[in-house]
Amino acid sequence: MTSIAAAHDMPAPEERAHVSAYHKSLLQSPVFLGMVMFIGSEIMLFGSFFTAYFYIRFSHGEYPFGGFEIPKATTGINTAILVFSSFTMHWALVSASRGRRLGLILGLGLTLLLGLTFLGLQMREYHALGFVPSDGAFPTTFFALTGLHGLHVFVGATLLSIAFLRACRGKYDPDNHLGLEVTGLYWHFVDVVWIFLYTVVYLL
Amino acid sequence: MAVAHAGDIAGHGHSHGPVRSEPRSPWLHGSWLRAIWVSFLFAFIAIGISAFIRYLLGFPLHGAEMQEVAATFGLTFWAIGFTVGIGCFDYWWGYIIGSPNWVQEDHSAHGAYSWRDYFKVNTDHKVIGIQYLVLTFIFFMIGGALAEGVRAELASPGTQYFSPGTYNGLFSAHATLMIFLFVIPSFAGIANFVVPLMLGAQDMAFPRLNALSFWLLLPGGLIFLASFAVGPFAAGWTNYAPLSVHAPIGDTFFTIGVQFAGASSIATAVNFLVTIVTMRAPGMSFWRMPLLVWANLATSSLVVLGTPFIAGSQFMVLYDRVMHTHFFDPATGGNVILYQHIFWFYSHPAVYIMMLPGFGIISEIISIHSRKPIFGYRLIAFSTVAIGVLGFTVWAHHMFVSGMAPWLRIPMMATTMLIAVPTGIKIFSWVATLWDGVIHLTTAMLFALGFIFTFVIGGLSGIFLAVLPVDINVSDTYFVVAHIHYVLFGGSVFTIYAGLYHWFPKMTGRMYDERLGRLHFWLTFVAFNATFMPMHWLGLQGMPRRVADYDPRFATLNFIISIFAFVLGASTLVFLYNVIHSWARGPIAPANPWRALTLEWQVSSPPPIFNFDEPPQVVGGPYEYGVPGARHAIVTVHEPDPQFAGVATATAVAGSTPQREALLTAMKHILVVANQTVAGDALIDAVRQRAGAEPVRVTVICPQNDPGGDWVTDDRQVAQATRERLDQTLAKLHEVGVEATGEVVDRDPYTAVMDQVESSDPPAEIIISTLPQTRSGWLRRDLVERVRHDAKIPVEHVVVDVHSNPAAGA
Repeated sequence: MTSIAAAHDMPAPEERAHVSAYHKSLLQSPVFLGMVMFIGSEIMLFGSFFTAYFYIRFSHGEYPFGGFEIPKATTGINTAILVFSSFTMHWALVSASRGRRLGLILGLGLTLLLGLTFLGLQMREYHALGFVPSDGAFPTTFFALTGLHGLHVFVGATLLSIAFLRACRGKYDPDNHLGLEVTGLYWHFVDVVWIFLYTVVYLL
Repeated sequence: MAVAHAGDIAGHGHSHGPVRSEPRSPWLHGSWLRAIWVSFLFAFIAIGISAFIRYLLGFPLHGAEMQEVAATFGLTFWAIGFTVGIGCFDYWWGYIIGSPNWVQEDHSAHGAYSWRDYFKVNTDHKVIGIQYLVLTFIFFMIGGALAEGVRAELASPGTQYFSPGTYNGLFSAHATLMIFLFVIPSFAGIANFVVPLMLGAQDMAFPRLNALSFWLLLPGGLIFLASFAVGPFAAGWTNYAPLSVHAPIGDTFFTIGVQFAGASSIATAVNFLVTIVTMRAPGMSFWRMPLLVWANLATSSLVVLGTPFIAGSQFMVLYDRVMHTHFFDPATGGNVILYQHIFWFYSHPAVYIMMLPGFGIISEIISIHSRKPIFGYRLIAFSTVAIGVLGFTVWAHHMFVSGMAPWLRIPMMATTMLIAVPTGIKIFSWVATLWDGVIHLTTAMLFALGFIFTFVIGGLSGIFLAVLPVDINVSDTYFVVAHIHYVLFGGSVFTIYAGLYHWFPKMTGRMYDERLGRLHFWLTFVAFNATFMPMHWLGLQGMPRRVADYDPRFATLNFIISIFAFVLGASTLVFLYNVIHSWARGPIAPANPWRALTLEWQVSSPPPIFNFDEPPQVVGGPYEYGVPGARHAIVTVHEPDPQFAGVATATAVAGSTPQREALLTAMKHILVVANQTVAGDALIDAVRQRAGAEPVRVTVICPQNDPGGDWVTDDRQVAQATRERLDQTLAKLHEVGVEATGEVVDRDPYTAVMDQVESSDPPAEIIISTLPQTRSGWLRRDLVERVRHDAKIPVEHVVVDVHSNPAAGA
């Protein structure tokens, strides 16, 4: 990101050689590493909400406390949709690195579609639940956790739309699709968080 | 390839002469004007949408609830709109929409060429570092003024100047500004300037993210201050629930402001981590990194892992306030203590976020100014990391009297006392470094020594507070106030001052006034101790903190404290005068006034725009003072070429007689502007066509510099190559019978052309030759259009593709 290139009317290829020396201490690309760090930070943000969730949950005997019901089965379908989207994301990435344009666009498009479907079904679930965040401690933690995750799906979908737009314009090639990899990493993270969330909040 | 700044000594761009501003509308392009209208537009749209949704759901559009919603969305989107408007996202937006003007390595916002550039989005880590330091110092002054208000109120018992509610607002805003907008970001500012230099890097890993981090801070701070307009947040900087949940609307300002300050520091921390891991110069192994870099590595890890917790805690307070959720409401199954756990899980590590960079600064200064290798380099580095790790295991010592689970008390007490071990290792290492050293009592060193004195006192009162029976007695008294100020003022602020004095020559290129510096130190040191030392007694006698009124028996001590608090405030003015005066008029600083070994001192003061001409080769440790033959790094600095200092001329017109002059004046004068493409066949053809129609004479100029753009070339080889290309062109033109002269011009292309147009010998036509659209920096900045618009004479644009034209690339 920081290498100096000629925005000057003077391409200077030898500059690249020097700049790369700055990156000698580098095994992973800075952008990828930055995303990993950011995801670490995100895990801690989810961590703070899970702390609240567990703290409140374990100070009650029954679960879900306060006599609320949440739909395990239909959300299970939603979970499957999100998990499947991780595979389509992977397909898109593999296609990009092998230069298969159709697979890339199809994979990204499918992933985006599945992500939006997840969000839509989540909205539907909220609507059908029959309780709202201000109804008690369980609705509070439930909406806070699923809502925070929903927000992350939304951010992921935004990143995917950008990647999709750029893929359609042919901006990715086998050697140059870092933006795609980073988007994929984030999307997998969102997926993994949901698997944990679904297991803890819905199943256990 | 050198990218050294033309004016290595003169610094930020004084050598370029006037640069014409580009004709861009400030309404539409990144500017303060756009920041203002976009921020308010975003705020109004957000409020409008939330009101519309409330309308659809059948909620009322007035009353306290609507105000909360409006404040939440309005403030959030106002701040986001501000960063958009000022121009933080322009580059990314170009990337997203695949703009044809978008270039991968766009450095057009890099480096400062005039003081105005400090008020714009800039991607240069040195500019951002100074932006941080100046902005945070302004907030320091505001926070200090609030503290003086507190002391004025406390000068005598009873209520004098402020109502108890306003008083609560004063100390809350004081702490908030000092923590979130002074100590944490000013360390980020120092590190921003120094760390990439110390690593031998050209910049941070993500320069644009770096700029965004800075510009997030300003709206965050303004939101805190804006709360005074609606009734300030008054629940303390800790914002404890349930007090905060039921507080008036000012508290929403706090919860939103913290999110922006927090996002800013997380982004910076990620940036530092990636920079430190990936951008070290060849040979800079982890065990050769200066201790300031180690300190920032540990601090940044704490920020990345800790700050999301305060974000979480303030989100929960916000939800409880706006959406009426029940995180902290026991009546419906929530939990009050939960807030404190989540809050302190960040806010205890936060005290190390506010202290570790200071430790790093002190390690640098003590070693450099006592001319000795640092004692126990590895142990200091290890203890820094150890404090970082242990810092996450002690949070509940803030909650000994909160009614939390009793079994947590003893473990938290033990881990808290354990932190004294790595801290002690550092203190003893510094003292051992001083032992038998050649101590230079510069102002920076005075502050470092003063820091050791005050921080040991603060550390010892910390041990007192860690001990459960003592803590239960002095909880929420002035003993705690004394402790926090001994570690945050006597600790952090002293180290910030030390760092500012130490790196002042590097940052500004000027020396500060040592006499004023010493005066500042002694005023600060005496007034600081006289202010906060008596608070220990007050606390032990039971004077509660955070109360506007107090028992008359505390009156004498409080009066003395207030007097010295005002002296302490006044001492800041000495610093301010010293800095401003020295920055403008101080003696020019040498590159390395302290004879330091670390890399930032091996380049000019201030450093050139991309720091190093070539990546330095690190060959040894950073603190080998007094060790014969020891070197830290080999730094190659390209000497500025004296030939290239002014204008180099390659003339092909031999002799100059009056007849010849007259002949030349009668010919049509054509100005050719080209650089890389100067010998291109298309260009020669264009000139030849004109020569066929009427007698012409040609002036060829090759502008070298590009200050409006991104970087400056004054490298000898580049200039030489250009001169050779120019000579080649002139020779070709002579072959086809055209009179031609030429210059390699040390200017940006637009200025160079306009200088010719306005000269005593103006051209009748201009030919501008560039690379094709995709690779031409000139076209990206609309050179042709601007010249066409401003010169008001015919302008022809010739495109030469160097790769398809081997003759030109020679």
